[in-house]
Amino acid sequence: MELLDRYLQAIEFWLPKRQRQDIIAELSEDLRSQIEEKQTELGRKLEDAEVEAILKRCGSPLAVASRYRPQQYLIGPTLFPIYRFVLAVLLIGCVVPRFLIWLAFLLADPAHRGYLHMENVWVTVLYFAFFTTLAFAIVERSGVKLQGLDTWSPRKLPPVRDRNRIPRSGSMLEIAAGVVFNVWFAGIFWPRPVIDLYGAQLTLVPVWRIFFWSFLFLASANIAIAGVNLFRPYWTPRRASLRLVADGLGAGLFCWLLKAQVLIGISASSLPAPKAIELTNLINLWMARTLPWAIVTMLVILSFDVYRIMRLRCVHLHGGSIGPAVKDLSSPMVNGN
Amino acid sequence: MSQSNGNHDLFENLRLELRRGCLSLAVLSQLRTERYGYTLRKALAEQGLEIDEGTLYPLLRRLESQGLLTSVWREEERRNKRFYRISPEGKLMLKQLAAEWQRINSSLNGIL
Repeated sequence: MELLDRYLQAIEFWLPKRQRQDIIAELSEDLRSQIEEKQTELGRKLEDAEVEAILKRCGSPLAVASRYRPQQYLIGPTLFPIYRFVLAVLLIGCVVPRFLIWLAFLLADPAHRGYLHMENVWVTVLYFAFFTTLAFAIVERSGVKLQGLDTWSPRKLPPVRDRNRIPRSGSMLEIAAGVVFNVWFAGIFWPRPVIDLYGAQLTLVPVWRIFFWSFLFLASANIAIAGVNLFRPYWTPRRASLRLVADGLGAGLFCWLLKAQVLIGISASSLPAPKAIELTNLINLWMARTLPWAIVTMLVILSFDVYRIMRLRCVHLHGGSIGPAVKDLSSPMVNGN
Repeated sequence: MSQSNGNHDLFENLRLELRRGCLSLAVLSQLRTERYGYTLRKALAEQGLEIDEGTLYPLLRRLESQGLLTSVWREEERRNKRFYRISPEGKLMLKQLAAEWQRINSSLNGIL
């Protein structure tokens, strides 16, 4: 019976302490009964291989012991989807921006790329993952009931979201902002030898003319797109592509502007000449320094634009339609009346 | 080959799920007569319901902790054995579960 004793000892190790003896005594009795019955049937003592077969059929010690334990988990099935969502948001929020900034520095300002070490990001990721898991495990253990689990009502749920719908308020805001920007921009930055900006005289490089007309054109194109969106408030692949082109051109132009050292000089009645030169250099320097951050912002915007196009293509490929996502179930067409 | 294995695993999971609830009913029913684990297993097997030790004993403990069974250690044939018997609460529960089982069974017979 050595094999049986070894088997029971292995099971005992994994059992809850308070029930160990009781469970082992009962299991031992059952297994001994099985062995004795087999011995009576064969009319001889069982060989080790035969005992082994009985024990193997019973299951591995860990598997047998686990059946006596209640189901255990660090974070339960109710909290788990929230935990996974929070973790994903935190990790994406932690890794993606830092990676993009690192990439932008690498591309635009390699001399300062040592400013951000990607290696540190993994330590931050581990911290985030650890503390998020710990916080959720504490909530799970403390048995705190999530707000809304008992008091929820379908009426309190958010309205059905149609991701291809363009909110009219957004389009109107875009048009208003575009018009205000165009008027302000054209009024102040109209290409001329000296630009007067609230009492300060700016001298810009001749290439400013290109920037000026390009920005004005792009802002007007965006107003036009917003105008179409206002009356046809659903994204189409063509309009989404147009938005991507406009944003891409705007991004490229803005990054070029930051790098182009457009400010030749600045003067004001209260500004001494040496200070003016210093300020000019400082503005050009900070514009150049802003470039990596601008690249990151532009990449994020362009990613959204690309994602929107891909989403629309998916809708087309899978035979969906662009329009309201949920049909009115009370309509006679749907009810077949 | 792997799809066949997958189907077999899926069948096994669904089969276990289907059996799980029925086992409690079968065990409660068999324990109207006092029995210890091994004889209970044999009694169930003789009636076509095989149940392994790893499933039966945790189930007996759960039913006992829920107050549906009572148990007592007693020596028999020079060995200590734990004898189980259905409790009054268990009898009531068995009656309700049996009625529910009949309802499900007749519905399923109609459906299938």
